[in-house]
Amino acid sequence: MKTLIIVKEKDYEWLGPVFPGIHPLLLPICNKPFAEFLIDFSVLAGSEAIRFVSDGPLGDVEQYCENGNRWGIAISYGSILENDDLQMIIEKNQRYCVEEKVLIVSGYVFIQYDRQHDYKTLLASLPDGEFLSSNHGSLRLRGARPAVHETIDRVPLSLTGLDSLDVYYRLSMEILSYASSPYVLPGYNNEEYCHIGRNVVISKSSEIRKPVMIGNNVQIFEGSILGPGAVIGSNVIIDRECTVTDSIVLENTYIGEHLEVQNRIAAGNILIDPESGISIVMDDPHLLAGIKKTGSGKKVFQSFVHSIAALFLIALLLIPFLLLSPILILQGKWKRSKNSYYTSGARKPVTLTTTTIERKGILSTLAGAISLDRFTLLFSVFAGKLALIGSLPVVARHAGSMDLNTIESWYHAGVFSYAEAEDWPVNGGDTAIVERYFAVHGNPFLDISMTIKAFFNRIHETKTL
Amino acid sequence: MIISEKICNSISVITLQGTLDASTASTLKTFKPALAASSPIVIDFSRVDFLDSSGLGALVGIAREKRSKGGEVTLACLNNKVRKVFEITQAYKLFDIFDDVEAATLHAEKKQGHL
Amino acid sequence: MNFHVDASTGKTLGLVELSGRLDAANRSELLKSFALWQQQVDLFIFNCTKLDMIDSSGLGAIVACLRKALERNGDLKLAGLNPKVSMVFELTKANKLFSIFPDTGSAIQSF
Repeated sequence: MKTLIIVKEKDYEWLGPVFPGIHPLLLPICNKPFAEFLIDFSVLAGSEAIRFVSDGPLGDVEQYCENGNRWGIAISYGSILENDDLQMIIEKNQRYCVEEKVLIVSGYVFIQYDRQHDYKTLLASLPDGEFLSSNHGSLRLRGARPAVHETIDRVPLSLTGLDSLDVYYRLSMEILSYASSPYVLPGYNNEEYCHIGRNVVISKSSEIRKPVMIGNNVQIFEGSILGPGAVIGSNVIIDRECTVTDSIVLENTYIGEHLEVQNRIAAGNILIDPESGISIVMDDPHLLAGIKKTGSGKKVFQSFVHSIAALFLIALLLIPFLLLSPILILQGKWKRSKNSYYTSGARKPVTLTTTTIERKGILSTLAGAISLDRFTLLFSVFAGKLALIGSLPVVARHAGSMDLNTIESWYHAGVFSYAEAEDWPVNGGDTAIVERYFAVHGNPFLDISMTIKAFFNRIHETKTL
Repeated sequence: MIISEKICNSISVITLQGTLDASTASTLKTFKPALAASSPIVIDFSRVDFLDSSGLGALVGIAREKRSKGGEVTLACLNNKVRKVFEITQAYKLFDIFDDVEAATLHAEKKQGHL
Repeated sequence: MNFHVDASTGKTLGLVELSGRLDAANRSELLKSFALWQQQVDLFIFNCTKLDMIDSSGLGAIVACLRKALERNGDLKLAGLNPKVSMVFELTKANKLFSIFPDTGSAIQSF
């Protein structure tokens, strides 16, 4: 048997703003990524292969699950479109689904099962079609043999649609409170109601009250009280004299000293009340803070190479700039405008002065062809505001930083853009495709050759941006 | 890169073989059967071992062009390497992607029938 | 920050309306003003209905105000905390230091 897991973006869209940066399939439920629960159940049900299909990104899931070797199962991935129905999805995965019985899990649903029971026999006895459903998803079989009328022991199996933080919170607390868990949970489990991961430092004067679950690389300082009811993720620091009860602390979180976390979810610097859904973002490192992974040296090297190349371009264009710009300014073809732009996903917008050159007449066409309109922007490369080549700068709509959530992590504004280098149509969302490509595949030296390409492409460009 | 065309279920299937990058993208762009008519096409990727941004650009260009004429480009049999390029660029949002050429042609045919 | 004296119940109360954010940027402003207000009254109500966000230094300032009020045998009560602000009070256990009321009216009645 095989398993096909269908999750669509709209099923989990509520999660994105709540836990930015966590793929919904990797959402930790009692320190175990959601996808692993699905994989465990598939294996238990007798699957040899699993395919995750989605109309959204699966890159993070693939990075985590890889080809499934870890579970002794073959995992593959596929893309579908938003409006594809089940029939269409099966057609798109024809080769995978053909000549095999397939268990289809659709929706962002948590399958509640118990590993003590025999699901293989249960699924073998069921006929084609849907056999379990909730308002957010279903389980169905395809290509099963006609129903055999055997009496099968009733085994526990139900679905919970993960559609709100409250459901997520209550599910986590419920799983935490099983004496001998129906699921395989991470961590050492020498005694009931207690799972503790690797490299956990618990201060002598702190107290652990069951049920608790602690991930890897966790430090708990003096006088803290954990539990009852605490799920602590990996890479978490709980500072002095804290109490954490009936709460979930997601990975990479620092909880400052003397705090009381009760009935809450803490994720980095975000504190959430699961019941009301209200969340606050702390920009106060004394209270809650995200534990950041250290920035890579790759970025530093990249901006260094970009600066050198920008210097070279400045040297090349300085004389034409000094000669042509005064003339064009007098002719009124050199138009400058000040705008606020996003530079990267992490930073606040910066104000940049951009130039547009009206390409009429010999001089202005020449100036446009050698990208003199970008000349002044080159200086922003030294200041680290812009990359030499990157995304098309996006105009910031609001002065506040709220809008930054909509800017994706790959975004890094540049003097030139990859779209120009690759001669992609600049308008429409298509440029994002090439920008994402280089966010992953780019390297500083490739950037130089892309800049040269962009520079030459712009010679023939008739319209200015 | 080798480009060949065959008809399967009355749909033109373009099979690409080799590397689809800056040096070969223009070959694809100028491959007449791909662009000429408004009829839908299926592009078989089973033998494409590498795809870069220029190649992707060519595909998106063809898809846009086809769509403007009322046609459709359906992709089939992406290997892992190629699929990852679609994944990171989210270009998968622009195409119907099948894991089987036959199924893709049936789909394209059905869609053509509806028009 | 808005301050006026209310004597409608017979007691002279200082009503302070906090608004926007209370953080490191404006904590000293609050502390300075509070010292001036204390020359007029001893009993205070901080109306927080328009207070959107507070951080630890803002919280520190309010706690400092409470201390100063208690030193002079006065008191400081809080009213109308929005859910986000009250989450910060719960997290830091500051809710145990203050008498907190849903609105100014009930806070006035309590004196």
